[in-house]
Amino acid sequence: MADAHEPNAGPGGPGGFAPPPLFFERMQRLQTAVACGTPDRVPLSLVMDLFAANTMGVSYPDFVSSVDIAGQTMLGAMEKLGDVDSIQFPTYAPDVLGMLWLAPMKLPGRDLPEHSQWQMDEQVRIQREDYDKILEMGWSPWFGQYIGKHLGAAAAAGQALQEAGPRWTMEYMKKGYVVFSPLTVDHPFEHLAGARTVKEFTLDLFQIPDKVQAVLDLIMAEKREQARQFVRAVGQPGLGYWVGSWRTAPEFLSPRLWNRFVWPYMKELVEIVAEEGGTPVLHYDANWDREIERLKDLPARRCVLELDGKTDIFRAKKILAGHMCILGDVHPAMLTLGTVADVKAYCGRLLDEVGPDGYIMAMGCAIPPDAKFENVKAMVDSVKR
Amino acid sequence: MTTSPLAQAVGDLEEETAVTLVQDKLAKGEAALSILEELQAGMNIVGERFEEGEYFLSELIYAADIFKKAGAPLQEELKSATQSSYGTLVLGTVKNDIHDFGKDIVATVMGSNGIKVIDLGVNVEHQAFVDAVKESGATLVGMSCLLTTVFDDMKDAVQTLKDAGLRDQVTVLIGGGPVDQATADYVGADYYCKTAQDGVIAAKKVLGVN
Ligand code: B12
Repeated sequence: MADAHEPNAGPGGPGGFAPPPLFFERMQRLQTAVACGTPDRVPLSLVMDLFAANTMGVSYPDFVSSVDIAGQTMLGAMEKLGDVDSIQFPTYAPDVLGMLWLAPMKLPGRDLPEHSQWQMDEQVRIQREDYDKILEMGWSPWFGQYIGKHLGAAAAAGQALQEAGPRWTMEYMKKGYVVFSPLTVDHPFEHLAGARTVKEFTLDLFQIPDKVQAVLDLIMAEKREQARQFVRAVGQPGLGYWVGSWRTAPEFLSPRLWNRFVWPYMKELVEIVAEEGGTPVLHYDANWDREIERLKDLPARRCVLELDGKTDIFRAKKILAGHMCILGDVHPAMLTLGTVADVKAYCGRLLDEVGPDGYIMAMGCAIPPDAKFENVKAMVDSVKR
Repeated sequence: MTTSPLAQAVGDLEEETAVTLVQDKLAKGEAALSILEELQAGMNIVGERFEEGEYFLSELIYAADIFKKAGAPLQEELKSATQSSYGTLVLGTVKNDIHDFGKDIVATVMGSNGIKVIDLGVNVEHQAFVDAVKESGATLVGMSCLLTTVFDDMKDAVQTLKDAGLRDQVTVLIGGGPVDQATADYVGADYYCKTAQDGVIAAKKVLGVN
């Protein structure tokens, strides 16, 4: 089941304790925003990893070595930032990205110098013949042996997160924080593009389009059921699931390719999550301007569009107002190189033009490791005006 | 200037047509260099369509592959020349740029004209140019750059040669799609080369070869 939905960090559930009133207040705020309403104030939802390590004085190798150190560090950073409604996932293990892009990760202290950002080790790991093998064997059996060959660490990280996720979610709840979107449902395109490399996969789309589509359809046949069962089993209405886009962004693909290989699968996965009561979080990196209109075809007032600063968020709001909640997009460069005044001014504009209805204040994508603490704090405080 | 059928095929991403046309032309005895120019004109069409928003990164990647495939049979003829070497050229695509077709052609054409080429690849660190010059005693440095956003990196690379005290010992040639004489002035290069052939002419002039 890991192939359909490896966790950002496992589901969480209230298990035998009552969260403080603050938790419910924040939850209410977020739910109102998701439904495109106007909450008492614009809520916040952060994504952070190594920024937390820097904030708490934890070394990168320590941070990536244990889901508990990561959880503790991220919770510590949340408390240091103060009045933040939510975090998107409660702990982290970067190796798990291997389950998304089918490539091993290089980590600080293990494969890279201690103070470096982790990297994906992108190489051509499957050949065109492997498409035939997948079609012959079926996706899960094929993927099982691929994990055995290339993704041992990724699978272990996935398991560690599944175990630690609920535990850490509880720790956040005790302190009044909502864990907003700890789970993921991945687009099959991301898997294949990662295992083939972007260049080779792009050539496949032009040169053997029917075969690629057959493989995507085969993966999808399994995923659609797995995803449905998974969201049902988690059984927490409103919990967020990332249905993300990295290599599938319209910026990289002409409409002809995108309409055939990206959108139909994306739309269906989003619909499945919504039908089962989850909140699809469209974590869309890169520029989506060309296809924003399309998002009107997704279920109304059920999804969250998470933008990273490359898409025109102000234009997106005009198009999607009343239909879809938007989350983002204080640019990584502004958090790193900008001043507190820059951040304040930009957040003010977001609150006025993208909020106050159907809007969640946040960074673009994730808080960069080297963001200035005072800049992040300025973003956090901006909603209290 | 009218567009040749070969250039048009590359521009329209018609892989098979482009490959067949190159073979026909070679069979008819057309010079490899002139066929190469047509392929390049095709890449210009691709670039224009990208700029106009008709093509996206996906089309650039496919065009690049067509260019490489269709151009492959030309390599033999482009290479077939003298063995002895008049001098050494350290060549690379500058930092933050990964375009390599132009650079590869330069390497081939220079090599076929008796100039030894040390190819540092793409996304080359400034210091790597310095190290390679020191190691080889090269008197020529070639930098390729296809992105206007990377001109400053090229400038820094030239500056790094200067800082290492090597600037007087080497002649710097630059080229690549958007590069022109103003770029050469801006980054402090000695020669702007519109084509690989221009590069050979400049190199031979510097080395005192006819
Ligand atoms: C193919 C291509 C790609 C391929 C490159 C594949 C590869 N392995 O090289 C891919 C898809 C990877 C690519 C990526 C990108 N590309 Co591109 N790409 C092109 C394209 C279509 C063709 C380039 C090419 O190969 N031309 C053919 C070769 C043979 O020509 P050439 O390099 O000019 O070389 C000749 C001469 O100039 C000369 N020469 C070149 N260098 C040197 C050096 C010396 C010393 C000498 C003597 C001579 C010399 O000799 C050669 C033969 O005569 C151009 C469009 C164009 N018209 O150039 C865009 C283009 C260069 N790309 C562009 C862009 C924007 C990008 C991306 C940023 C796109 C993106 N959104 O990600 C990325 C950048 C990645 C990076 N960091 O470098 C823009 C640049 C615009 C700008 N501001 O400068 C262009 C101009 C397209 C456009 N019109 O907008 N690209």
